[in-house]
Amino acid sequence: MSWDGLVDGLRSTVAWLMHITSTPILIYFTVINLSYLALIVLAFVDFRAQHRRREAIVETFGGALTPGVSLVVPAYNEEAGIVTAVQALLSLRYPRHEVVAVDDGSTDATFERLRDAFDLVPIPREIPQDVPTRARVIDVHVPRDGRTRLIVVRKENSGRSEAINVGVNAATEPLVTMVDADSILEPDALLRVTQPFVDDPNRMVAAGGAIRPVNGSRVVSGRIVKVQMPTSWLARIQVVEYLRAFLLGRTGWARFGALILISGAFGIFRRDVIVEVGGLDPDSIGEDFELVLRIHRRLRDEDRDYRVAFVPEPVLWTEVPSTTSVLRSQRRRWHRGLWETLWAYRGMLFRRRYGRVGFVALPYFWIFELFAPLLEMFGIIIVPLALALGVVNVPYGILFLVLAYGLAVLVTLSAMAAEEWAFHRHERWRDLGLSLAASVLENFGYRQLTVWWRLEGWWASLRRKKQVWGVMTRTGFDEAGG
Amino acid sequence: MSARGILWGSTALVLLACLVLVLLIVATKVTRTLRDRRTSALVAPHRADLLAVGSGEDEDGTHRDALIAVEGPAREALDDALVDLLAKVRGVPAEELAAVLLAHGAVDRAPHDLKHRSTVRRARAAHLLGLCHVGAALPLVVDALRDPAAEVRVAATRALGLLREPSAAPPLLAAVGADRAVPAGPAGDALEQLGVGIADALRDGLLATSPTTRTVAAYLSGEGTFTRSIDLLRLSLRTDEDPVVRATAAVALGRMGRTADVAVLLEGTQTHQPIELRRACAAALGDLGDPSAVDGLRALLADPDPRIAEIAATSLLRLGPIGRAAVDGAPTNASIESARAVARLQGSLS
Repeated sequence: MSWDGLVDGLRSTVAWLMHITSTPILIYFTVINLSYLALIVLAFVDFRAQHRRREAIVETFGGALTPGVSLVVPAYNEEAGIVTAVQALLSLRYPRHEVVAVDDGSTDATFERLRDAFDLVPIPREIPQDVPTRARVIDVHVPRDGRTRLIVVRKENSGRSEAINVGVNAATEPLVTMVDADSILEPDALLRVTQPFVDDPNRMVAAGGAIRPVNGSRVVSGRIVKVQMPTSWLARIQVVEYLRAFLLGRTGWARFGALILISGAFGIFRRDVIVEVGGLDPDSIGEDFELVLRIHRRLRDEDRDYRVAFVPEPVLWTEVPSTTSVLRSQRRRWHRGLWETLWAYRGMLFRRRYGRVGFVALPYFWIFELFAPLLEMFGIIIVPLALALGVVNVPYGILFLVLAYGLAVLVTLSAMAAEEWAFHRHERWRDLGLSLAASVLENFGYRQLTVWWRLEGWWASLRRKKQVWGVMTRTGFDEAGG
Repeated sequence: MSARGILWGSTALVLLACLVLVLLIVATKVTRTLRDRRTSALVAPHRADLLAVGSGEDEDGTHRDALIAVEGPAREALDDALVDLLAKVRGVPAEELAAVLLAHGAVDRAPHDLKHRSTVRRARAAHLLGLCHVGAALPLVVDALRDPAAEVRVAATRALGLLREPSAAPPLLAAVGADRAVPAGPAGDALEQLGVGIADALRDGLLATSPTTRTVAAYLSGEGTFTRSIDLLRLSLRTDEDPVVRATAAVALGRMGRTADVAVLLEGTQTHQPIELRRACAAALGDLGDPSAVDGLRALLADPDPRIAEIAATSLLRLGPIGRAAVDGAPTNASIESARAVARLQGSLS
């Protein structure tokens, strides 16, 4: 076949593909953007209520019905930061909380650092198997002073989920929250995130809190003292991405009454409910997502009246990937976890008993979260090809791209506007300028790369390739400041 | 309209919306910055007077009078600062600050503001009436518990706590379980401030249809040692369908129960009960500190659940010589040793 013939063949194929997909894609495009708009509106309603509470000076936390909280900290080779992290958690403003640090078979000096810092002594405590665990608990330590509410459990290495399950078993308070050793909680974060449980003690079973990237901010002794934008564009883009996903998305879903994803990095749960559903699934890649869905399924199966909330104000700061290789691994894992969990819970789809979760949230996650990268990749390939082959005229094609990415920027800007109005954590004008730039730049390269990585994760799962967690190379917090 | 026209129109609309949002973000930041600066500038000249009155160092009333004399735009900014400070002080300084607000007319305006269109104004009005202890406004504040806006209901709840009028307890407890509910946390705080006169309301609350109301009533009965609730707490622990109410009742009985409650709590530790309730009851027996619990707790030392066994051992150790003897006489296990080790670290066991 001649070159011209090949080009003609390709041109007709592309034209045919565009012809048959244009209407479904247009519908998809319209519905996804309308759903974003709905989430934005729902989130704004929630933010407005918070704003009013602050304006009316009625916002107070803690008080009579504040339940005790166990902060479970799984730690694997965290010798560099574990002591600072535990000290920061112990000094959180909260009337009754304990820290349960679980050393997941570290090969470095994680335990020794804790032992020396808190003068730990062993106690012969047998940890109950409320949540069944496979790994053997080696020993349990508490501080010699008998007052500091710290429990350190050493166990054989078996992964983060198992470590958390052991922590849940060792926990003695009615609420349990999982906090990674390399994350920073704001001093009032616990008071704020437990408020839904204080206000509705009988029905509230789980709540999530907002997570933000710490990269670039100034940290002293495990506390954020100045919020700043990161220095790398990769991290800057993730700052606006987190705003969009956590602030708008989850607040909107919670307001709608169908929040199905609480990040494992900062979720708080009623301990008895975690125990009832069997704890985190150690074999799941998306263990946090899976846990929340399991809670929904169990409680709805039993026709129980319950609530899952999201609190946009409490902030957990975490270091986001600053290299493409780490980001790739993270996004592959996230999408794989999404797929495997959605597949495992496909039975909840369109079943009356699962209400909004089954009729709205899960179908949304299937169509607009799981399949989104597939469609986006189709667009990334087909539109430039169509332009190059002259199947669509250039101004028309460019206009379509501007519209598509303009809508993406619009959603991000909505999140930024909500943040600026309700929380305004970034005080500097420079940071605002960088955020605005990041919301545009996100669409040139970053978005396409993450689409590809998400597809890689999905493909690896379909091929039943073993998930490699990879190493989150952390650059550490800027303790020196600046 | 042609497809191209729709595309052009949509793109222009989206880009325009982006531009509007950018301007909105900038305007929000600028407005807030300017407003904060203006407020600071308006209050700054009176800051010293404010602090003198708030810290109780205004013996001859000159600083108070200076604050009363403030006029114009500064008065509004100052009133906000006064309300803010009033929420943090007690006693004479609080009365002096309230006197300034009264002289400014803010207190007189508040009852009218409770019916204002603005949610923030209504919530602030309720807040102010509570802070200034305007007892005459009680019926209005009680009415505000049914306000359509949650923020106003919360402000009214807190105000009722500050008004310290026990007759507000029944409507407060009812509001906890209402369709337009008052959150349990602020309601619990407010009820705690109402004093001993709420005993009957708590008894009624334990029989309410709303489990949240029953939880609040059970919790406060224990916290405030409202012995009139004991019989209903026993009933709640035995028969309530809500596990949170049952556990709260167990804790309450542990705080103020009598010898007769040992049997009720031991019932709650039986193996067919939910594990969390069993543990709560075992701990409550320790809190109760009644020697008649020794036999029941001793039996729990060999419980298959190591947490219950450790709680039972801890409860026995807290009972003094009779409990320690029971622990010493029991076949040892890890839970007993753990309880002993923790008690030694806490200095309660040699």
